[in-house]
Amino acid sequence: MPDFGDLIGRLVGIIGEVLGASSLRLGIGPTLAIAGILLILLSLVARPISRWVTRDLGHLSAVPRSMALAAESGAIAAFSLGTAGIARSVSASARLRTLAALPILSHVARAAARSGVPMEISANDPIAAILAEATVLEAHRRTETEERAGRSRVVYVGEGRATAAGYALAARTHGGAGFVMGGLAEEGLLLLDGMASNTGSTSFGTADASQASSVLLEGEGALIGPELFQAPSDLTRGGHDRIAAFAGNRLAWITIVVLVLGSALVVFGRIDLATFLVGH
Amino acid sequence: MRRSLPTALLVIVGLLLLADFVIVNPSLAALAGVLLEYIVLLAAAAAITGGLALALRHIDQLRHADAERSGSVLVLLGMAAMLLAGFYPGSTGAADPLMRWLVAALLVPLVASLFAMLFFFLLSAARRGVRLRSRETTVMLLAASVVLVLLLPLGGSLGELLAAAAGWALAVPIGGVFRGLLIGVAIATAIAAARVLLAVDGAADD
Repeated sequence: MPDFGDLIGRLVGIIGEVLGASSLRLGIGPTLAIAGILLILLSLVARPISRWVTRDLGHLSAVPRSMALAAESGAIAAFSLGTAGIARSVSASARLRTLAALPILSHVARAAARSGVPMEISANDPIAAILAEATVLEAHRRTETEERAGRSRVVYVGEGRATAAGYALAARTHGGAGFVMGGLAEEGLLLLDGMASNTGSTSFGTADASQASSVLLEGEGALIGPELFQAPSDLTRGGHDRIAAFAGNRLAWITIVVLVLGSALVVFGRIDLATFLVGH
Repeated sequence: MRRSLPTALLVIVGLLLLADFVIVNPSLAALAGVLLEYIVLLAAAAAITGGLALALRHIDQLRHADAERSGSVLVLLGMAAMLLAGFYPGSTGAADPLMRWLVAALLVPLVASLFAMLFFFLLSAARRGVRLRSRETTVMLLAASVVLVLLLPLGGSLGELLAAAAGWALAVPIGGVFRGLLIGVAIATAIAAARVLLAVDGAADD
């Protein structure tokens, strides 16, 4: 007959062996720092209290009106997920910019589904295209308009940043509303211009600092830098949607405190806080 | 169940990779390696599916009279040329001279031509910007003009003065704005990563 105590003992032994074979990759200090940051993030994400931003970021509050106008004129809504993609060989932060654009796509897709406006979503990355398709289907499911889902389409335009820009410039379809959200690079201006010249109202956003001027020049609504990540929190009334904004607010304050404290310590010649934090 | 399974997978995979980043453990490293290989395989499969979808869409467009057929024909011919160059008997794949010639003689000049249009599109964007929000765009264009003047290749004491002013402008006001943006983006990215890792869904009904 199996011995339950023996089983527990063996399990504890295995866990002990695994732990015994492990060592800390970064040493005790940096590991504790990473764990601390994770705990702070966890607490910030888990306990929202107040709202951070109340203004209309990226002119996104006008999306329902744009969709109504598009429905009247029989136009489509065009949405581009930028040029960074998710599975492309770009930096992790650029991939997160594409992921940050998906809640905005969800918001636009729900408005389009309610108004009966077909959407054309373009992406230069197959994984991003698959996620976009799932987002659009989910928007139709949430708005109970699944019968309209077939009119929208997700277009994989091919690999490369120039391909996305070329597709937008060559597009002949005139949309009622145009959106470009996600990561952009040097040719971002071409993508934005192509989208702006083919559509009625526009809203563009990117977290790439080098492309901030392109977005400001081309878009009626513009999301610059961190605003791309903040905007989804402002789009809905759901409390958990604002969590990023609350957490960002607190982290911003923590950063300001660290910067001021670090500068004061350097000025008074006591400790170089930046050297301590960065480690060199 | 439909939503909880992917969410659970996301959280488990994310935490495993994070743990592998912090802790040196052979078993954990092997598991993380397998997961990373799966991710690469998934991306490769998605790339093939994407290519097939692209070809099918353009084949479908050829059947419709109102569609832009010339563009579809060009896309399909381009895809066929690249596939032939990579798969003909005796081809060395991506390193094949024919493939390299196609990239160097066709693809690179095409992309370079697209980039060359940036200047003209910038002027068009400036006109559009002035129409959309005249005050802000005017300030932006004035600032750009000042920086352009500062960067003029002049000699003598005036040139030195302009170069010093350009250096100060790049290091202090422009550098400050960029650093502020980068800090904000870094914070927002960390929050977005935590939201993804903790599976905090952002799609509520509105």
